[in-house]
Amino acid sequence: MTSALEVRGLVVHAGGHEILSGVDLAVAAGEVVAVLGPSGSGKTTLLSAVAGFIPLSAGEIRIGGEVVGSGVPPEQRSIGFVFQSYALWPHLDARDTVAFPLRAAGHGVDAARRRADELLTAMGIAELAGRRPAEMSGGQQQRVGVARALARDATLYLLDEPTAHLDAATRGAAESEIAAQRAARGAAALYATHDPAEALGAANRVALMRSGRIVQVGSPIEVYERPIDEWAARMTGPVSVVADWPGMGRVAIRPEWVRLGGSRSATVSAVRFRGSFTDLTLTTGLGEIEVRVSGATRHRPGESVTWEANRVWALPG
Amino acid sequence: MRSEPYSAADRLLPGSATALPLGLAVVALVLIPLVDLIRTTITTTGGSVLDALDGEAIANSLWTAAVAATLATAIGVATARIMTRRGSRAWHVMVLLPLLVPPFVSALAWSRAFGRGGLMDDLVGWTLPGLIGPVGIVVVLAVHAAPLVYLVVGSALRTRARPELEWAARASGADAGQALRRVTLPLLAPAIAGGGLLAFVVSLNSFGIPAVLGVPAGFPTITTRIFGDLARSADPAAFHRVLLLSTVLMALVLVAVAVATATMRRVAGGASSASREPLPVVGGGRPPILMSGYLVATTVLPLAALVLTGLTRAAGLDPWPANWTLANFAEAWQGDAWGAVVRTVVLAATAATVATVLGLLLALARRGGTGIGLAVAAAFAVPGSALAVAVLLAYGPWLRDTVVIILIAYLAKFWALAHRAIAGSCGVVDRDSIRAARASGATGAVTLRRVVLPMLRPALAAAWVLVFLFGLHELTMSSLLYGPGTATLAVVTLEVQQLGDVTVTAALAVLLTVPGIGAAVMMGRQRGTT
Repeated sequence: MTSALEVRGLVVHAGGHEILSGVDLAVAAGEVVAVLGPSGSGKTTLLSAVAGFIPLSAGEIRIGGEVVGSGVPPEQRSIGFVFQSYALWPHLDARDTVAFPLRAAGHGVDAARRRADELLTAMGIAELAGRRPAEMSGGQQQRVGVARALARDATLYLLDEPTAHLDAATRGAAESEIAAQRAARGAAALYATHDPAEALGAANRVALMRSGRIVQVGSPIEVYERPIDEWAARMTGPVSVVADWPGMGRVAIRPEWVRLGGSRSATVSAVRFRGSFTDLTLTTGLGEIEVRVSGATRHRPGESVTWEANRVWALPG
Repeated sequence: MRSEPYSAADRLLPGSATALPLGLAVVALVLIPLVDLIRTTITTTGGSVLDALDGEAIANSLWTAAVAATLATAIGVATARIMTRRGSRAWHVMVLLPLLVPPFVSALAWSRAFGRGGLMDDLVGWTLPGLIGPVGIVVVLAVHAAPLVYLVVGSALRTRARPELEWAARASGADAGQALRRVTLPLLAPAIAGGGLLAFVVSLNSFGIPAVLGVPAGFPTITTRIFGDLARSADPAAFHRVLLLSTVLMALVLVAVAVATATMRRVAGGASSASREPLPVVGGGRPPILMSGYLVATTVLPLAALVLTGLTRAAGLDPWPANWTLANFAEAWQGDAWGAVVRTVVLAATAATVATVLGLLLALARRGGTGIGLAVAAAFAVPGSALAVAVLLAYGPWLRDTVVIILIAYLAKFWALAHRAIAGSCGVVDRDSIRAARASGATGAVTLRRVVLPMLRPALAAAWVLVFLFGLHELTMSSLLYGPGTATLAVVTLEVQQLGDVTVTAALAVLLTVPGIGAAVMMGRQRGTT
């Protein structure tokens, strides 16, 4: 089966800086790959290069097996793009926005609008059909942006931090909706985000991006449990790094890998109740250790406790 | 969430502190002169309106302005599109350069570059046919108005038709042509129309360019006719024509401005509410060779020709080092020029200071001092020729031939300029920083002095420099209002030009233009480093 996307040795320069320095990445048909990295790491540039918005300095991009060089404009690539800023056209209402790709594909005005209405209905936002962006909330604009991308029958969907501007409640709903819509089409997606929970939850595989390079690729569980270095460990979720674990040297410990009770002693230095779980910080002979216990806890700062790590992960250096 | 801009809801000064000076200023500077002009026109012209109407000048003004505006719109839109995709700060300044050259100096520079005996004539034996006459007027007007269209359309491209909206269209399957037709142009249409109308108004109001390129060809426009007739205002018929032409010009311009304002209002509204963070602008580099060629031909070459002429010993000689001399600059100092320089600088600096204070008061006034703001904006739109005639009617009996009457005209015209520059920056003073000061125990006056003014300092400086430059370059009103011993540098330059001394004119024109370009370069640097 051909890959939905293959990127090899991708280099992109902008304003005299190297933004991408040799990126290799593949997305299989029907697969969702999340690109996880801090802002400024080159995620948006990678997506823009795949879409054909910006020229490449070096490297090769294949979409659905076809090589798309700098000469192939976005409209001739089999892609749909969801913008971080939504990029809705201020002069068009939601119906005409979603009908736009259909008309570009050669459908007549009426057929395109009918199909757009169906899509808006399927996404549960039929009531937005007649509204322009200025009359929509951020969450509504985001959904119309997703509907517009889906209206294009694409091999690959590119989602650039699609939920970055949404509040926590809307974000969860938007994430599951995007996942459901994409899965219904069986299309592949490349999903840029700086939020580890979103990346781990939404993707089949996660690619960690740092300063224009992919530093690790793996399943969500792999990148979470077996980070290649301290940076990767911190990027993928809460972690304590112990410089000198007896017999192992430098290790990473996820908070849920630690249990209270055991042979090691510590003092509780902070307690943060989060609802369904509680985070505690322990001051130990090995340094500060984060612990996550489910539900509430009776422990208070200053108390002496014992603890043990169920597992630790060795880091280089 | 964006924080809310400063609004008059958080008023800092008691209403009377702004209302009284603003009210006095707007009555004295705007209302009295304009009402006087209209009243006098009605009472003195009586029934002979049609006899006194100068159809030829009106028609000439209208068609040259219309053609120039069309050209300027095409150039401005093309420039804006190129510059939003690839263009640096330095290119931006280059594109705006024509705005920093007084229009009549541009006209002089063009005639030295492309006219008979000009630089191109010397180099390759080529002259621009019709430069002295309507063709030259249209071309130089268009070159001068194009940067204004560029500014309007460029800002619409940044805020409304952002590049990513076009990318969204391409990613939706539209080709470049469809994206342009269905997304970019519909979004830009109001800005293009507004920019075009602005170019039309500026061209219609222009006096310096037709004075240099039209008068020698016997091609009258409204503004040059007003200038000519006012010099013979002892003749009642000529005076009637001046009044009538001023009123007609004012009416034409105010209609155009009203239409432009209505269209531009649509530009402001309806922008997408999501983040304005642009996607990375990649594919930078230099604008295409065509644009460099345009800038060289329309701006660099004429200015170079002007400087060379100023350096050349006599008009007929080749402008090469063998014939170079500084004698023209020395000669420029003879006569009234030195006094004119001092007078011009003092006049421009005084106008800049008072206009900045008035502009600040208006920006701080309650609800932006809506009515006063409108009157001030209208006075800015009123053509310089008409405004000068109005000021002369109102204050001539007491102040004729003094520097004060020129100052009044400058303030009436440039108040709006200072106000715009300051009000436009009030957005940087967000409401919360004012409330934070008040919550920290500061009174309104203290908040103004210690929070608002420091935040507005760059805007105040920009407003001052802007008005100072406009004052330095002003020719239209000064040429109608000056008397014995009150000529400004621009007026002296025009006088020398009309006497036919090409090299000394060029030297004076260079002196007049250098401070503006110098100031722009310095401000560009400053902004570049901070």
